Amino acid sequence: MRDDFDPRAVESFSFVAASYADGQARLVYALDDLQLTEVISFPGAPAVPVGREAAVAKALAMLHWLAGTSYYKASVAKQIRFDGGLPDAQAAALIADVYEQGLAEFAYVNQLDLSGRFELPSAPGGAPGTVLQLPRRALVAIGGGKDSLVSIELLKQREEPFAVTWVGNSELIRRCAERCGRPTLNIKRQIAPELIELNRRGAYNGHVPVTAINSAILTLAALLYGYDEVVFSNESSAAAATLTHQGKAVNHQWSKGPAFELAFDGWVRKQVAADMRYYSLLRPLSELGVTARFAKLDQYFDVFSSCNRNFRLSGEKPSSRWCGECPKCHFVFLALAPFLAKPALVRIFGRNLLDLPELIADFEALCEWGADKPFECVGEARESRAALARLSERADWQEDAVVAHFHRRILPQLPATDRDLDALLSVGDDSSLPQRLRCAFA
Amino acid sequence: MSAAQWIVLKFGGTSVSTKARWATIGKLANSRLAEGGCVLIVVSAVSGVTDQLKALIEAEPAARAELAQRLVEQHRAFAAELGVDAAILAEVEAELDECLSSPHAAARAFPWQARVFALGELWSSRLGAAFLTASGTTTEWLDARTQLSAQALPNQGDWARHLSTTCQVQHAPALAEQLAQAGRSQITQGFIARNLSGETVLLGRGGSDTSAACFGTLLGASRVEIWTDVPGMFSANPRRVPQARLLRHLDYDEAQEIATTGAKVLHPRCLGPVREGGVPLWIKDTQRPDLEGTCIDASGGDGPLSVKAISHRIGVTLVSMESIGMWQQVGFLADVFDYFRRHGLSVDLIGSAETNVTVSLDPSENLLSADTLEALCADLARVCRVKVIAPCAAITLVGRGMRRMLHRLSEVLAEFGEQRVHLVSQSSNNLNLTFVVDESIAEALLPRLHEHLIRARVMAVDDARLFGPSWEALSAPEDVTLPLPWWQRERDKLLQIAAEQGPAYVYHLDSVRNQARRLQQIEPVDRWFYAIKANDHPQLLQALVAQGFGLECVSAAEVAHVQRHCADLDAARIMFTPNFAPRDEYRQALAADVMVTVDALHALAQWGEDFAGAQIALRVDLGPGRGHHDKVRTGGSASKFGLAPSELAQAQELARKVGAKVVGLHAHLGSGILDPQHWAEVYAQLAALGERFVDLRWLDIGGGLGVPGQGERELDLDLVAAGLAKVKALYPQWALHMEPGRYLVADAGVLLTRVTQTKLKHGVRFVGVDAGMNALLRPALYDAVHPIANLTRLDEPATETVTVVGPICESGDVLGRERRLPASVEGDIIAIAQAGAYGAVMANRYNRRPLIAEVLL
Repeated sequence: MRDDFDPRAVESFSFVAASYADGQARLVYALDDLQLTEVISFPGAPAVPVGREAAVAKALAMLHWLAGTSYYKASVAKQIRFDGGLPDAQAAALIADVYEQGLAEFAYVNQLDLSGRFELPSAPGGAPGTVLQLPRRALVAIGGGKDSLVSIELLKQREEPFAVTWVGNSELIRRCAERCGRPTLNIKRQIAPELIELNRRGAYNGHVPVTAINSAILTLAALLYGYDEVVFSNESSAAAATLTHQGKAVNHQWSKGPAFELAFDGWVRKQVAADMRYYSLLRPLSELGVTARFAKLDQYFDVFSSCNRNFRLSGEKPSSRWCGECPKCHFVFLALAPFLAKPALVRIFGRNLLDLPELIADFEALCEWGADKPFECVGEARESRAALARLSERADWQEDAVVAHFHRRILPQLPATDRDLDALLSVGDDSSLPQRLRCAFA
Repeated sequence: MSAAQWIVLKFGGTSVSTKARWATIGKLANSRLAEGGCVLIVVSAVSGVTDQLKALIEAEPAARAELAQRLVEQHRAFAAELGVDAAILAEVEAELDECLSSPHAAARAFPWQARVFALGELWSSRLGAAFLTASGTTTEWLDARTQLSAQALPNQGDWARHLSTTCQVQHAPALAEQLAQAGRSQITQGFIARNLSGETVLLGRGGSDTSAACFGTLLGASRVEIWTDVPGMFSANPRRVPQARLLRHLDYDEAQEIATTGAKVLHPRCLGPVREGGVPLWIKDTQRPDLEGTCIDASGGDGPLSVKAISHRIGVTLVSMESIGMWQQVGFLADVFDYFRRHGLSVDLIGSAETNVTVSLDPSENLLSADTLEALCADLARVCRVKVIAPCAAITLVGRGMRRMLHRLSEVLAEFGEQRVHLVSQSSNNLNLTFVVDESIAEALLPRLHEHLIRARVMAVDDARLFGPSWEALSAPEDVTLPLPWWQRERDKLLQIAAEQGPAYVYHLDSVRNQARRLQQIEPVDRWFYAIKANDHPQLLQALVAQGFGLECVSAAEVAHVQRHCADLDAARIMFTPNFAPRDEYRQALAADVMVTVDALHALAQWGEDFAGAQIALRVDLGPGRGHHDKVRTGGSASKFGLAPSELAQAQELARKVGAKVVGLHAHLGSGILDPQHWAEVYAQLAALGERFVDLRWLDIGGGLGVPGQGERELDLDLVAAGLAKVKALYPQWALHMEPGRYLVADAGVLLTRVTQTKLKHGVRFVGVDAGMNALLRPALYDAVHPIANLTRLDEPATETVTVVGPICESGDVLGRERRLPASVEGDIIAIAQAGAYGAVMANRYNRRPLIAEVLL
């Protein structure tokens, strides 16, 4: 099989134009002369509200630029053209960051060197964002996993006004969202069919910073429908780099980290609307801190999934939501175990992952015991160690294969500090949260 | 026997929710009245009303009026639809008002809750009485609370004493007589009764069935009929086992056992009262009143020895207790069980040995949401070593006289033998045999066990007194007249071919093309491949290529064969999907530029340079395989095919290192699958794995589309398409490929063979033919069942039961057992149908018998 599209032959990548009308944002890009149009649909969205025109235009432009990562990566053309107007300096810096950091894994996997490609031109900025008097309510992103559900229940408990929102057509997320009992907003994203075609013909493909793109989509949605906050649910460990390549950090989830959050929130507040905020509610929590809270939310146990496989269909059976084989399944099982009745936990997964001798090595890796931690979004090694130490003390767990192995072989060699689960539940720095939500975890 | 003969009919919520359904109730009541006796109709609340009443109870007092008003309006509107005067509801509405203003309303006292819940049944029975009377069947309204009285039990909590009570009833002939005088047709409420203080109480879950059973005994009824939306009880859960058979006749204990161990159609509580009174209980289907349903009575266990059902329960937790020194000590077990009692846990199954005792716990609120198990184990750990095994499933075989059947269960036990069985329990009532296994394997195990039970004749499904049709057959569309198979239409030509050629395979190309066209209607599939290993006859390949099919090969020789006979076929439409093939074959395939599928790390790790710059696909083993026989299941840990999902990351990394692009993912889990949801499941599982492969372009979900055998339903391709479309909408970025083999060609081929000799030995009649396992290996290899007909005597009635055997010196050379055929004589031509797939391609020259001819029609 040979490909008939050679990405190296493409000379320029252009941001052609972006427009919004009738609930649809149309984002047009071009690889040389080939135009590609992505359409993002906002169901039931009103016309651009009076007074928010400038803010909407800025949010739309940012969405155009950030969603462009998907199209840029098809050819990584040397020349990047801004046909629809140049970003200002702050936006240009943000875009450059998202392309450089957010496409680092893509570049690594495709063995491409993108360094120095994103020294983008900029134009003098226009007027900064003003106070738009947006209604006091939040758009909360939901992903179908435990994290966003913890955020949602915390906000419910505090009687915060909000809607639950997600991008795409995952049935699994829809079922989780419907369980929340709050208004829902499902935004649809239609990738340009030409891109799918190019991918089949040999275009470069790979990981894009999808959280950055979704953040831009939700920011535009907040302006259209009238929300003053966009809330994500990334916790503290999202900051860790996955690996280092040619002296540079390659972080699988860079756009879930605090650097992107800080830069994006800064841009939103300064350039879009002075009364708008973008933040991650769970930033002060560790993974264990999140699972300890999630363990109380049994209304979601039969619908959620944090499995690494991208399950979109919402099956009844646990095996249609949890593969049981990936590090995420292993970690979430372990992290929930100290906080849940055993029958309830094994019911979620449909099997007991801690009693499978063949998984001993995988759990050792989670503990960074004789092996490196897997390149996945899992908690820190000390969290896994502390959870296993806690289970070693429990009569209902201690005979299970993985726990017994840990108890016999590993625990005796660990310092006492590694056994202290309670210390890991303490709440970290919450200064990135709005004032009224600080101490929400106390 | 009382002079007045009663029949009790019970109808659930959906049966009383529309006018049409009430008309059905009227019709059924009339037909029972025509038997000469009296009828008592027991009804539930209209669908959804009990939930609304629950919401009303839970609502803040201030919010209740609005919910109440909604219920009042809903019932008035229904009265209007039924054409009866809403004034008949006045008493119920007054009772509702009284409840709302009751001083107990604020505190939601249990007696008050019971009163509110009772309104649903009061409403529906009032409506029913008026409607049936207006339709010409004068029906008296009876307040169930005047007849059923509940007794408080010792240890019963306040909640249970009001909302989940039990009634003790005895036959009361005087009452039966008195009610008959009042009116031959009566209607009353399910679910509700009174207590000794005269308060309204509820009978708890399954309450309406229990009410009907109590009334049946009270009135000495000739039978109680429970009307539902299913045909009756089945030999297994039909959702898991479509081949499950309708149970026609059970005794009370068997029914109780089945209901307790899993079946949902009947609440086990309702069997107590009818057993006491010796009243037969029937389960009937409202949609199909003529179907006989399930009859439960005292004589149900009298028939032949048979397992009646397999039931299963999931969410079971086992507590295994290991103790060395203390076993002989008096009181050890008492101590252990005392811990369970103290933690409020009720033990179900028990297995014990010298040093181990293992018990099972059913899922309960107590177990799931509290630290109960943790606390129990902490206590137990003081006297023994304890291990919690969960989640488990309890699989129970139910049938009277279980111990006398044990020796026939070897095949069934062998099926369990491959699994981890944690506990086996055979109860002293000799009614059940229970195996506790890992929950994750239970679902796949059930259909196989059911099949084994039938095959081993432990489940006597041929006895029409006990077993009815299968669920599958009952849910099949009626009046399907199958067209005459092509080989019967072309009989004269076939007889001529047989006369000229001797034993021969004959293929019917139009049948192949028809099957191909049917598949191509499945819209979500972007590209079809034919797995040529099923039948690689050149003209057949050419016909499929002309139809737009690509070809899937499993060896370099197959690729060469395809290139020779289909020279115009684009290399991109040829797939090479080998398993444990030598390196050289991969090299040839890569050189020929066909799409190569890799199914082991070995190829990428050891022969990396061969794959540099190539586009490849990975074959994934998604887990437990499916299919009609072990030897055709190609997934699961015992299977040699595919990469484990956990190896994919490594395969991806190896591919990246050698510069190969993974453009396809492939999975194929087995053959002969008739469940239309199977492919959507495989598709969803495979797609969920796809995201990490950045160059991915297509997913291939294999084939395995089943060809129905005798008594099996045809695979519903519309359902297959609908399932696939749903997944495709979620993952539109990847093209979808399928690669059927047998489905396209099986029915298009027959094997013609001639009768050589016949023999009657020890009562078994053998018909020998001149082509055996040398020509058709499937019966010997897979226990495959092929239709067999005497083509020479197609119009003659079948008068003999015979075993059809070939000429090979192997005891396994049997083409079919216990076949009904006309009396066959030497020289007759026998047609073995469904032989178009895996026939000629597997033929061999064993015993130095020559390969047989292949002829195209």
